[in-house]
Amino acid sequence: MAESRSTSTSTSKARSPKATPTPTTDGTPRRAVVVGGNRIPFARAGGPYVRASNQDMLTAALDGLVARFGLAGERIGSVAGGAVLKHSKDFNLTREAVLGSALSPETPAYDVQMACATGMEAIVGLSNKIRLGQLESGIAGGVDSTSDAPIVVSDALRTILLDLSRAKTAQQKLAAVARIRPNHLAPSAPTTGEPRTGLSMGEHQALTTAAFGISREAQDELAMASHHNLAAAYDAGFFDDLLTPYRKLTRDQNLRPDTSAEKLAKLKPVFGTQLETPATMTAGNSTPLSDGASTVLLASDEWAAERGLPVLATVVDAEAGATDFVHGRDGLLMAGAHAVPRLLARNGLTLQDFDFYEIHEAFASTVLCNLAIWESEEYCRERLGLDGALGPIDRSKLNVHGSSLAAGHPFAATGGRIVASLAKMLAEKGPGSRGLISVCAAGGQAVVAILEAA
Amino acid sequence: MTAARPEPVVVALAGVPSLGGLYARGVAGSVRPGRSRTVRSDDLPRTRLHVGGVSPDPAHLTDYQRLVGETGSDVLPAGFVHVLAFPVATALMVRGEFPLPLLGMVHLANHVEQRRPLTVTDELDIEVHAEGLAAHRSGVSVDLVATVRADDDVAWVGRSTYLAKGYQLSDGDAADDDRPRESPDAPTAPPTADAPLAPTARWRLAADTGRRYAAVSGDQNPIHTNPLAAKAFGFPRAIAHGMYTAARALAEVGPRARGEAFTWDVTFAKPVLLPSTVDVRIADDGAGHAFRVWSSRSGRTHLEGAVRPLP
Repeated sequence: MAESRSTSTSTSKARSPKATPTPTTDGTPRRAVVVGGNRIPFARAGGPYVRASNQDMLTAALDGLVARFGLAGERIGSVAGGAVLKHSKDFNLTREAVLGSALSPETPAYDVQMACATGMEAIVGLSNKIRLGQLESGIAGGVDSTSDAPIVVSDALRTILLDLSRAKTAQQKLAAVARIRPNHLAPSAPTTGEPRTGLSMGEHQALTTAAFGISREAQDELAMASHHNLAAAYDAGFFDDLLTPYRKLTRDQNLRPDTSAEKLAKLKPVFGTQLETPATMTAGNSTPLSDGASTVLLASDEWAAERGLPVLATVVDAEAGATDFVHGRDGLLMAGAHAVPRLLARNGLTLQDFDFYEIHEAFASTVLCNLAIWESEEYCRERLGLDGALGPIDRSKLNVHGSSLAAGHPFAATGGRIVASLAKMLAEKGPGSRGLISVCAAGGQAVVAILEAA
Repeated sequence: MTAARPEPVVVALAGVPSLGGLYARGVAGSVRPGRSRTVRSDDLPRTRLHVGGVSPDPAHLTDYQRLVGETGSDVLPAGFVHVLAFPVATALMVRGEFPLPLLGMVHLANHVEQRRPLTVTDELDIEVHAEGLAAHRSGVSVDLVATVRADDDVAWVGRSTYLAKGYQLSDGDAADDDRPRESPDAPTAPPTADAPLAPTARWRLAADTGRRYAAVSGDQNPIHTNPLAAKAFGFPRAIAHGMYTAARALAEVGPRARGEAFTWDVTFAKPVLLPSTVDVRIADDGAGHAFRVWSSRSGRTHLEGAVRPLP
């Protein structure tokens, strides 16, 4: 099933006789649809994927998708994906994963990186190309391994080694080597610290949590709901066609179906312990470091129809946001709250016009601070330039099949997890149903998007 | 303060002096037997040391920018210009006519006016003089003023206030001195200034912070590089260079927020002992960006200051 067989598409008018068709553009955007998705269960750092590389996991997720939708040997328009913690040797991570997969080796691929919004950005970019008619099909992917994270040598040693590689004479080489000191040899592993502030993501969120006065109980309640909702979704078979087991893991390793408010209340706070206000953020209401990969199959209606594939949802629109966290003006993880009103305005919608809300649970308090912003008359007026508050949402529509607190959060894989799940939820809910996604990211960024049942 | 001073005597140096040699002279001068611990307000030399044609070294600039967190731009960070002028100021302080000892001098405050940007291709004229000898509750303070010109135009002026502990001003009047002068070992900030603030950043300063800044700045004062030497001057451990912490704050304000022409003020309260972790707040205060650095453990202020646009 090569793409060249799709002779009946509406965009195949101007075609040269021999070349494999690249669809022409007539300037009219069309729909980009989500056909489905596939991910591997998410593992905890140091868990069953401890020896698996980003490329291993992305290929596994990709091959599961290929198997599910019969794409073996298919030339997909483009595969876009990425990882946040990336080895320098993985400069072409996604293309290498494609070459190792069952897809046609003529499938092009490119890497995307936007911290934890990498998966979302890959999906939005491919959707736009499909809408423009540049692509008929695309696969968005994301993967991260905190177990197989790159370790780099110190900057001092790196400078010396680079000088050494440029040295021509034995004397120059000796002089370079002689500069190496024992303390240069300590390796540095990546951290979740913001490069400009030195504060970890958790410490940043703790500042925002304190500023909005989010209680420990509210955070634990959200965390508990995440676990219970995810467990219920597994029990109902919701993930049966969204997941391929990997390394003997069949469910997200972090999931604790029997967690309770009492158990969560026992955990010690780990972030914000140096602030004046009581520390509220624990390992229970923060996402754990995780390993995993996800993929989403996107297409034009025609491409899906030709192959008899389902269309679950359309990617309607998306918006990115960013905040000035460096000077303490806004929270590091609040950019989604800033981007949503712009997205709503462009689409003529209110915050209440949705059947599902998927707000990535980087921390329970990230979600709760987002909601607090939208409910705050003052914040919406003064910081977002709105006429008033966006208002509250129906909490029973929030992260209904669980989110990152329960599933885990392999950074770049989270966007694909959310989009595939939400697309399926919308298809089940039926025509006219609509979902809102918000995924925050390091660097004070976020990508938000609207999906509708196809 | 300078009005009554006689004509300055400009002494031209052939080039920027080497700090190593200056320190040797400074150490010798500081322990000179019979050195008087009482000085008069007109004891300051009329000398202005001048060095022309100073060409910034790109590799040196890069090392500085990396260390303090500046982007590798061709524009010289205001703190880098201070580093270029520092040997000239040191040369002035080790001359026999200078009434205070180099060794053990404490940096109290620093004020920089960056009037226009300087770049790596500019040829700089650096002139340094001393003024404002003043009584301080634990010694005598003095201002070293560096003026940096490019194309005969004053682009940068830096005023560094240093304290010689244990000295006395025989004819001084501390009351007419309105600049903030805090002793490094006295409880400085009033309680309100130590009220809890949300940090915007946290710096983990390693034990070798002083040695790394010394390597780039040339300021090899042993209180920054050697714990034993620091003990000899009354500090339990080596202390961070004030200008390193101030330069990091300036870098974090960032090029957009500070603009091309700005003032950069800092007052050093309590020295930062190495290693340590400090909380930092850098925020828009309406008139520019104010910054404060305090101990993550005790909450005591280490330094505070502001970066404000110049009209």
